[in-house]
Amino acid sequence: MANRTDPAAKSIRGTNPQNLVEKIVRSKIYQNTYWKEQCFGLTAETLVDKAMELDHVGGTFGGNRKPTPFMCLVMKMLQIQPEKEIVIEFIKNDDYKYVRVLGAFYLRLTGSDTDVYQYLEPLYNDYRKIRRKLADGNFSLTHVDEVIDELLTKDYSCDIALPRIKKRWTLESIGTLEPRKSALEEDFEEEEDKEDAEQLDDGLEDDAHEKDYYRGRSPVRDRDKDRRHDSHRYRFLCTDSVQLRRIEIMIEAMIGNEDAGETETGTGIVIEKGKEDRDRDRDRDRYRLRDEKDYGRDRDRDRDWEGRDRERRDRDRGRRRSHSRSRSRSRDRKDRDGGDHRKRHRSSISPRRRDGAEDNSTREEAKKKKEKKEKKDDGTDHPDPEIAEANRLRASLGLKPLKV
Amino acid sequence: MIEVVLNDRLGKKVRVKCNDDDTIGDLKKLVAAQTGTRADKIRIQKWYNIYKDHITLKDYEIHDGMGLELYYN
Repeated sequence: MANRTDPAAKSIRGTNPQNLVEKIVRSKIYQNTYWKEQCFGLTAETLVDKAMELDHVGGTFGGNRKPTPFMCLVMKMLQIQPEKEIVIEFIKNDDYKYVRVLGAFYLRLTGSDTDVYQYLEPLYNDYRKIRRKLADGNFSLTHVDEVIDELLTKDYSCDIALPRIKKRWTLESIGTLEPRKSALEEDFEEEEDKEDAEQLDDGLEDDAHEKDYYRGRSPVRDRDKDRRHDSHRYRFLCTDSVQLRRIEIMIEAMIGNEDAGETETGTGIVIEKGKEDRDRDRDRDRYRLRDEKDYGRDRDRDRDWEGRDRERRDRDRGRRRSHSRSRSRSRDRKDRDGGDHRKRHRSSISPRRRDGAEDNSTREEAKKKKEKKEKKDDGTDHPDPEIAEANRLRASLGLKPLKV
Repeated sequence: MIEVVLNDRLGKKVRVKCNDDDTIGDLKKLVAAQTGTRADKIRIQKWYNIYKDHITLKDYEIHDGMGLELYYN
């Protein structure tokens, strides 16, 4: 049996390492010609030569799902179980990107949580291009850091269900992992210092002037500033509209649905609270400007800061909650006082509201109306409950409603 | 709207409502939602024809009530 696991191999996660690849894919690999011709009798050394010849990554492709050579080599590594040092050499080598990805993939399958983060995260700084074979047999272009990101954040890659690993921040809070050092760290610190000096001047300038000033700022510094102001601001980043909607609902429930510090939807949600003084209002305008312009760019970059941001968010959560409670009380007071505060509040919002200077109530109404309209469109109000159910499912998958 | 029946002959048989201008890829997503198997692990075929993801049911001449074979990969 050529497809036996090396008898000296240790079992991984309580089972034969080859079982990490699902049965169907495994049997596809065993039937594959590349496996039979090229992978027969490979050892840890000769496997390196084969790995150097790789020119794409990928899982399985084509109508009958042939495995890629990459997949075959992963399988071979699971079979012969090379020593950890060898795998780490694979990852550390700079000359062969596919060898690196192969090593990273293998480590992700078999390594411990801390090892995975420790050895894979440095590869976030590898921006070389990688060819990836898609399921339909076409190639697409990706990069080493994207593949690594997929390995670290997703649970499925190259037609293999990756073993679960703990989230980075849990490991950090246990103390088994240091906070991640970004390669950009030093740049930021420099900028921060510089900005501290400049901020003194900032205070003196008036609003209008300042707006222009901020528009012209470099995104790096903008974001940097942002980070520091995060204590009274949440930002959710999500692309999935369903998820977005869910978060919106959650937020509405959390802050009691009527808000003077407003929730704002779109690609990014900004929730602001506790705006008593002018100063903060102004701050918010600044964010808005930034959010509008830099959102896409920001998101990519945010990946770098994710761990850190999350940590901060967690820390803030407690503080936040009490904050919002006190805010609702103060809001009542405000309402009693009369429209005075509100008027001021509204007037300070100006720059982003191109579409509507209307206040929150009309906006909410519009939103509701829109929802109703949507409902009619996606056919979930169909009299036949079965079809309505099917349409709901289709809507969640992003498909058109059934034609009846 | 048409209904197709997908049978894997291992104990799973699903009826799926769909439009005839849905693609096979859409159909796989619907089946995935009903059965809990990943859409990209599903293969739909009829005898030896493996259906391709980007082609619509209409083009494969799949009509109401037709049965398809469900395989996994």
